[in-house]
Amino acid sequence: MDQTILFAALLAAPAAGSIASLVPKDGVEVVASVTSSAASVLVSVCLFVLGAAGAYGPFYSDGLTKIMIITISSVFFTSVVYSSFYVKRIKEPLVRFRWYYALLDLFAFTMLLAVTVNDLGFVWIAVEATTVTSALLVALERERTSIEAAWRYTLIVSAGLVSSLLSVIFVYFSQGTLLISSLTSEPIRAGLLMPLAVGFALVGYGTKAGIAPMHAWLPDAHSEAPSPVSAMFSGILLPTSIYALVRTFDLLQGTASFEAMRYLLIGFGVFTAVLAAVIMGHQRNYKRMLAYSSMENMGIVLVGFSLGGIGAIGAAIQIVAHAFAKSSAFYEAGNILVAFGSKSMAEVQGVAARLKFSGYLFALSCLAVTGAPPFGVFVGEFMIISQAMSVGNVALVLLLAAVYIYGFIGLNRQSVLMIFGQGGTALGVSEEQPSQAQERLGENWVSVAVPLANLIVALAIGVYLSPTLFLAVQALGH
Amino acid sequence: MILPATLLTEVAGLLGILVLLSALYLQGQTFVDPTIRAIAAQSLILASLFVILFLESGDVSLLYLAAITAGVRGVLIPSVMLYQVRHFRHSMRESGTGQRVPSLVIVGVVMIIGGYALFKTALLPTLSNPAVSVPFVLVLLSFLLIVTRRNALTQMTGFLEEENAVLYAGALIAPSIPLLIEFAVVLDVLGVVLVGVILSATREVLRTLEAPELEQLRG
Repeated sequence: MDQTILFAALLAAPAAGSIASLVPKDGVEVVASVTSSAASVLVSVCLFVLGAAGAYGPFYSDGLTKIMIITISSVFFTSVVYSSFYVKRIKEPLVRFRWYYALLDLFAFTMLLAVTVNDLGFVWIAVEATTVTSALLVALERERTSIEAAWRYTLIVSAGLVSSLLSVIFVYFSQGTLLISSLTSEPIRAGLLMPLAVGFALVGYGTKAGIAPMHAWLPDAHSEAPSPVSAMFSGILLPTSIYALVRTFDLLQGTASFEAMRYLLIGFGVFTAVLAAVIMGHQRNYKRMLAYSSMENMGIVLVGFSLGGIGAIGAAIQIVAHAFAKSSAFYEAGNILVAFGSKSMAEVQGVAARLKFSGYLFALSCLAVTGAPPFGVFVGEFMIISQAMSVGNVALVLLLAAVYIYGFIGLNRQSVLMIFGQGGTALGVSEEQPSQAQERLGENWVSVAVPLANLIVALAIGVYLSPTLFLAVQALGH
Repeated sequence: MILPATLLTEVAGLLGILVLLSALYLQGQTFVDPTIRAIAAQSLILASLFVILFLESGDVSLLYLAAITAGVRGVLIPSVMLYQVRHFRHSMRESGTGQRVPSLVIVGVVMIIGGYALFKTALLPTLSNPAVSVPFVLVLLSFLLIVTRRNALTQMTGFLEEENAVLYAGALIAPSIPLLIEFAVVLDVLGVVLVGVILSATREVLRTLEAPELEQLRG
């Protein structure tokens, strides 16, 4: 089958879901969004299995593209399903729920467009459009803090992304085209503008990916957005921005400035990971803590892509594994928030005693995102540090090892205190009404099955799927 | 061409200087209303400049760009922002940063000189168009405006100025670049979402657009 049709179908599904969600009839939005996201997963699996690298009409595909589409569509699907549990608990939403689902579908559409289109100009447009579609989602709960977070997110990210527009202009001025297939197949004309283009892309896309010191929006938006949206931000929006940065950076391969820019990107990646690992363990809000963990992971992923070789493949595997594990953690954070009514770790303690499954799943998800073996994140991190060893960069190996260990201890110590500790002050629903149904306590079959399924996939990536992903990325080229 | 090319180049240069002066005027304002009017004026000057560039090159996309710049950033968005100000029934003034404004203007002048020196050293040999120094410096000034001000509407003018600067740079560096219009449209849609929806929600729920109220999130 011509892959152009499959790519078109991949984009048409969320677009159709978005339109159908606006039908003014109760329940239609959930059915439309679940159906369209499931269709996206199906098409992305077809593309992953059947596809070969190359340009197909307006689309471009290689190993990284395939990894990205399957990750985006999967987390989109699970977030839509989890939303059916979570959002109806929001008392005064900023927009009607049908608009929430329509925007969620459009958000996924823009991310899928960003990673499939064969034009750096359209990549920029799509990444910018993710801000337009997600700004209102952050403010959905209509609280002072969520509106403040939405403003900060939109302004900082937009201001940053205008820098990456300069990057696109520089690429066009120096190369005469923005087509990724042409830029990757023909020799790049060297000059000062290309490294400058990568520098501006680092500032612009780096802002959206949460790369320090441009990350100021990230902890706010992740902690204040509804949990399904936080899961999409952390699991797939940040990697989409990393994808756009990596596409620009890869153009430098074979030029004299490649090594210098490689070390610049590694420097920013390490700085982000170190900063996040240090701050993470001192957070008082568990959703902010997860947000800093995402920053740490994106810093490590950027290091992996910059190192190249097995490090880049490790970074791709880490993107997939982190997306599943972190979305699971955010869904469970949503369950905990529903049950306890607080995001403060001081107030939320002894979760395992009150919630039958979510506490244990949260603890396991925290282990998964911090690279505990045998979860997939561990495999990705191991491959990245292996590449650093193979190029003989001892300082980088030591720094990465320190980040892994410090981040692991910081996050898991906090999560264990939350799940098994005693002395929390949040009343929660359970103390007010001990006899309430489990659903009111933040758990029903959807709210448990969705994070559990994602956690199982994160585990399966580590145990079974890493070789498959490795071969897919390697065979299709990146 | 009806007008001689040298005259068009001189007019374009003059308008570029006016854009830069409007940016300095923006830096020097402590009240929000004149800031909004200044960004509207800057967008209209820039739109005129795009028309001049169209007359020079004959590229119709520059004419569309002029129309979008004048219509959206010159009229629509500033009108919505002025509506937000009027809602408070008093002239809004920067809190906290007001006293620092004169020194920020000096910082702005230093940035213009330093930015031009940087441009001349690093970019001019490759771009070979000295006029690009104006949008280059404008980007730096817009960043200064965003990071030093605390009022949401003033920060928004910083974003609009940055957008003006980048589209100006695009039109000068690579006027034939595909998607220039689309870039402008996406940025303007974002601008409308920012001022029309997020700021409206901010005003309704927080009952202020001043930064002390917008500082709940820490850590």
